Amino acid sequence: MKKGIKKVLYVGLIIFLLMQLYQPARNQSYEQVNTANFTKVYQVPKNIETILRTSCYDCHSNNTNYPWYSYLQPTRFFMESHINKGKNNLNFDEYGNYSSRKQLTKLDRIVKQIKSSEMPLSSYTLIHRNAILTSTQKEEVINWVNSVKVNE
Amino acid sequence: MIIFLDVVNTIVKSKTNLKTINVKKSILALFIVAFVLVSCKQNNKKDETMNSETMNSENTTQDINNSKFSIEEIVSNYLSIKNALTKDDSNSAAEAGKTFVETLSKLDMKNLSDDKMKSYMDIADDAKENAEHIGDNSGKIDHQREHFVLLSKDVNDLITTFGTQQKLYQDYCPMADDNKGAIWISETKDIKNPYLGAKMPTCGTVKKEL
Repeated sequence: MKKGIKKVLYVGLIIFLLMQLYQPARNQSYEQVNTANFTKVYQVPKNIETILRTSCYDCHSNNTNYPWYSYLQPTRFFMESHINKGKNNLNFDEYGNYSSRKQLTKLDRIVKQIKSSEMPLSSYTLIHRNAILTSTQKEEVINWVNSVKVNE
Repeated sequence: MIIFLDVVNTIVKSKTNLKTINVKKSILALFIVAFVLVSCKQNNKKDETMNSETMNSENTTQDINNSKFSIEEIVSNYLSIKNALTKDDSNSAAEAGKTFVETLSKLDMKNLSDDKMKSYMDIADDAKENAEHIGDNSGKIDHQREHFVLLSKDVNDLITTFGTQQKLYQDYCPMADDNKGAIWISETKDIKNPYLGAKMPTCGTVKKEL
């Protein structure tokens, strides 16, 4: 019986080690000047930009701040699929490449997702405690985005 | 004891004999299966080439028939999303949303002028995304309705730019989209509200005939 447990543990360990070999490319860009960034499209106040950077950019830009455990599989695998999905829906670094219609749609979506607390994802804020938006922060972002939408 | 061992031996031998026979049989079976599979595949290939040939000829005839760019199918897909939402039917709305995306990707826009092409691409890009979200969120009807606000604007602009044969109405409900108000397109003059559903089915007015 004991032997059986040992065998299972060994196999598990080997699978875990083999898994580490899979390390997909990281979401990091080394471009110095980004012309399509959100801040190039709108006049973004400093406080709003900081909020976006800490709470949104990990999944919605071309640069992710990876924590140490992101080097371990299978964490990495889930993280990467999250980031890809996030970037697909909204990428602040590609914002300038969207059509003006799409930009307006995105602004609308940002407000609604924050208002309904769907974003930032609770699975993300569970670990990234500093990414949680306080109600005043939410209001700040929503009011600012709404003011931009009126001007457009 | 010796006799006993002998018996065991013969049994083992006969078993191994059986085994070798089994192995031989299974190898033979494998060969047969492999052969059948390969020949089937070749047949399939032949069928495929034949199919694609007939398909090609069909396509060319279709091209002649469909040389005019039309948004009729998009509009009818949109209307099925709308009708599902008026009935608070999230699942059918999602299904219709998926069909909408499919229709968009099939649409042939070779014959559009550069100018029209650009405005089409702008609208279609946005519409596709909104329809995708409606398709992916069955069960979350509020989320679907949020995207329906945007999709309605897109479809409205498609209709004003490209026109349709069908008689359509642009309706407006001041309470939709968190009381900001939103439009939708309908094929009937009667108001059936897709944003509020059974809660307030008749909220809204006809704003325009398209």
